[in-house]
Amino acid sequence: MTTLFYLLGYLAVVGFIALACKKLKGYLEDSPLHVRWELYPVPHEGKKSSYGGSFMEETEWWNKKRHIEHWYDIMGIIREVLLLEATFKHNNKLWFRTYPFHFGLYMLMGGTIIMVICVLLEFCGLNPQGGFMMFVRNVINVVVLGGAFAIVGGGIALIERRKNDPNLKAYTTPEHFLNLGAFVLFGLLTLCAWAFNPCGDGYYGLAHEFIRNMFTFTFAPIHSTFFVLSMLVGFFLMIWIPLTNMQHLILKYFMYHDIRWGDAPTSENEANQKKINDMIGSYRPTWAADHIEGDGTKTWADVATSDGIKK
Amino acid sequence: MSDTLKLNDVATVEGQLVSIKEEDLPKTRLDLEFMPWKPFTDEQKKNTACILDDVCMLNIPKPQTPEEEEELVNKFLNGMRKLFDKENNFTCLPMLKTSMENCVQCNSCSEACHLYEMSGNNDMYRPNFRSEIFRRIYKKYVKKEPFAKWRYGDIDLNWKTIARLGELAYRCNLCRRCAQVCPIGVDNGLIAREIRKLFSQELGINPPELHTKGTVNQMKVGSSTGMNPQVVQDNVSFIDEDYSEITGVGIETPFDKQGADIMLLHNAGEIIAWPENIASFSLIFNEAGLSWTLSSKAVGYDGVNYGVFYDDAQLARIAFQHMKAAKELGVKKIVIGECGHAHKAITVIADRVIPYEYQVPRESCYVTLRDIVMSGRLKLDPSRNDFPVTLHDPCNAVRLMGIVQPQRDILHKIAPKFREMPCHGVDNYCCGGGSGFAIMTRNNIDEWRNNLSGRKKMWQIGEAFKDCLGPETKKYICAPCSNCKGQIRELLEHSDLYEKNSFAYGGLVELIVNCMENVNPGFIKWGEDE
Repeated sequence: MTTLFYLLGYLAVVGFIALACKKLKGYLEDSPLHVRWELYPVPHEGKKSSYGGSFMEETEWWNKKRHIEHWYDIMGIIREVLLLEATFKHNNKLWFRTYPFHFGLYMLMGGTIIMVICVLLEFCGLNPQGGFMMFVRNVINVVVLGGAFAIVGGGIALIERRKNDPNLKAYTTPEHFLNLGAFVLFGLLTLCAWAFNPCGDGYYGLAHEFIRNMFTFTFAPIHSTFFVLSMLVGFFLMIWIPLTNMQHLILKYFMYHDIRWGDAPTSENEANQKKINDMIGSYRPTWAADHIEGDGTKTWADVATSDGIKK
Repeated sequence: MSDTLKLNDVATVEGQLVSIKEEDLPKTRLDLEFMPWKPFTDEQKKNTACILDDVCMLNIPKPQTPEEEEELVNKFLNGMRKLFDKENNFTCLPMLKTSMENCVQCNSCSEACHLYEMSGNNDMYRPNFRSEIFRRIYKKYVKKEPFAKWRYGDIDLNWKTIARLGELAYRCNLCRRCAQVCPIGVDNGLIAREIRKLFSQELGINPPELHTKGTVNQMKVGSSTGMNPQVVQDNVSFIDEDYSEITGVGIETPFDKQGADIMLLHNAGEIIAWPENIASFSLIFNEAGLSWTLSSKAVGYDGVNYGVFYDDAQLARIAFQHMKAAKELGVKKIVIGECGHAHKAITVIADRVIPYEYQVPRESCYVTLRDIVMSGRLKLDPSRNDFPVTLHDPCNAVRLMGIVQPQRDILHKIAPKFREMPCHGVDNYCCGGGSGFAIMTRNNIDEWRNNLSGRKKMWQIGEAFKDCLGPETKKYICAPCSNCKGQIRELLEHSDLYEKNSFAYGGLVELIVNCMENVNPGFIKWGEDE
């Protein structure tokens, strides 16, 4: 059973990475170049973004060098991801429920990343009993406690809202409750593992042992049932997230940077100029309405240069 | 009804699904008169799918036999498959797919939508209502995902679902205010347009004002107004003559000037409905000494591109003809006149649809005008504009292109009593005529624009002028977009707001001409002046 537990752990990690890559690959392959569909404000417009302005406010902008403020884009996405800024501005009631939930997740994800780095550093010679690792131990124990509480509290608040808000009832399906319920269960089990563990180092000890065993392929039992159960729920969530609307964790970057803020004019991009020619010169529409004349033999270029009027 | 509306009701409810009552509508500072919905005729009820609400945009024929119903369902599903196919929909597939798969159903979009708010928060007007129906159909009937009913919620697919979904795609102004507030990046406006696209490109169902009388007419005759090249030149010549007399300045509008710097691309509707706009552009450009011309080539004199509202093929065809006209004249750039959707269609959308070698650089007239006004090339007397002015932001040019400040720079220079509307700039609300409705009038569409879609704009105007409402003070609503002007004109006319509040509306160029020192005073007319 212990070996199976670890195998499920590997499966979850590999599965998450594979599914995330599949999503990203699918997105990139859906179209070599979609039409520009930007929405203002676009942060990389820099100072203009304060009121939603763009390079198209300039006379003969195509003759001027564009100043793209990547830093503003980075700050924009960081504010959105870390603070859930759009929800705060436009759905404040929801923010007070969803922010603790998301922040709890970030705390646990951050804790996991710290743990992985520390274990790797140990392999490089870092003293596990040294002062730095003692500090990390305390940080992890606090972060896990806070994060798990936040997930449970936020998750329950979100379930309550989905159950009782008449605005959401028609849009709520059993899957919403499964998703939120799984996170709440994960948080509760994590809290139990934190509270009832036989290890002297607190939750840190359990997590450290598990991650180290994963890296070294040491399939030794973890002496905390709650920890094992919380990990099993976690494994399930890692596979489940990319298969649900929670995949926005993976695709949000593209939905912001490539679509909402994707304003690159073709005049400045030779690669895009070629892509347009390739697409309209080779793609053959099969739309059935008469005016399209999409019989599968004509390309989009043929369609666009015809008048679509039956002679 | 709003409290009990379920998504699957679109498939199960017989007859009209919802009705918006006068008492549901929020009040505004301006006294807007409710236009009672005209009941559908027995003939319509029998033969046409007018089954969503009090309006009917598409006139979809009711299937008369089970075979006809099956054919409609199958055609719809074929179209849906094509929407998710790269070769058929490379233009929008990534946006569509991400909007289909990432929505967490938080409904943050509802509060941003003027239609939802101004319908008295009717569930049918939630931006997510049509999107979620579309998603459920896709997952259950096209992707055939296991446990789709349990995971995403159930939906039945029959002729009623399809007819109502088609109509729902035309209960949206495509202003994309909902997309702007979405924390994930989901775009319900895009989904509405994709549904319109499916209906047009696969089923051949579209509003006649946009298609037969719109883009098809434009490709066939040269303009959606029906004006051929000769008529356009004659009409512009008459405008030059009339407005030379009115302004006291000789106006001559050049056509087909080979090698000019600028090809000005008007919305040809201006020539018929707002000749003062055409004359103002000519006067300003001539006075500023620009090298410019209009094209008399068919399509090249009408910047309208209704394809952007419903059909990619029609969009590309018209944009291609615009570029071709400019190429043939050898101009350095196209300047787009006061028409919001023309701005977006040719500048932003055509940018990745028309091959680069066929493209001619495009610039907004707001930018060109800003440079003219700021350069001092015109002798201006702002005291002639000493009346309250507010500015309507066309969604297509502002939220969707980020052209926000140039028009404000002009107004700050020439209109001493300029004031912003609440929620202006990129946060602005649609005029209510956006995405083609401004030119539609059938089957209670007029009533819908007056009672519902234009209501928020009237709220904004009322708030902007709240200190000077009433007939005593003349006020000017600056709406630098043809479709928006058309919509605002209808709203003002119906409730007699011209007289009640001394409103005049018009574009930016009229306001510039009104304060030009060498122009006869009083270019802008209010009711009693005309």
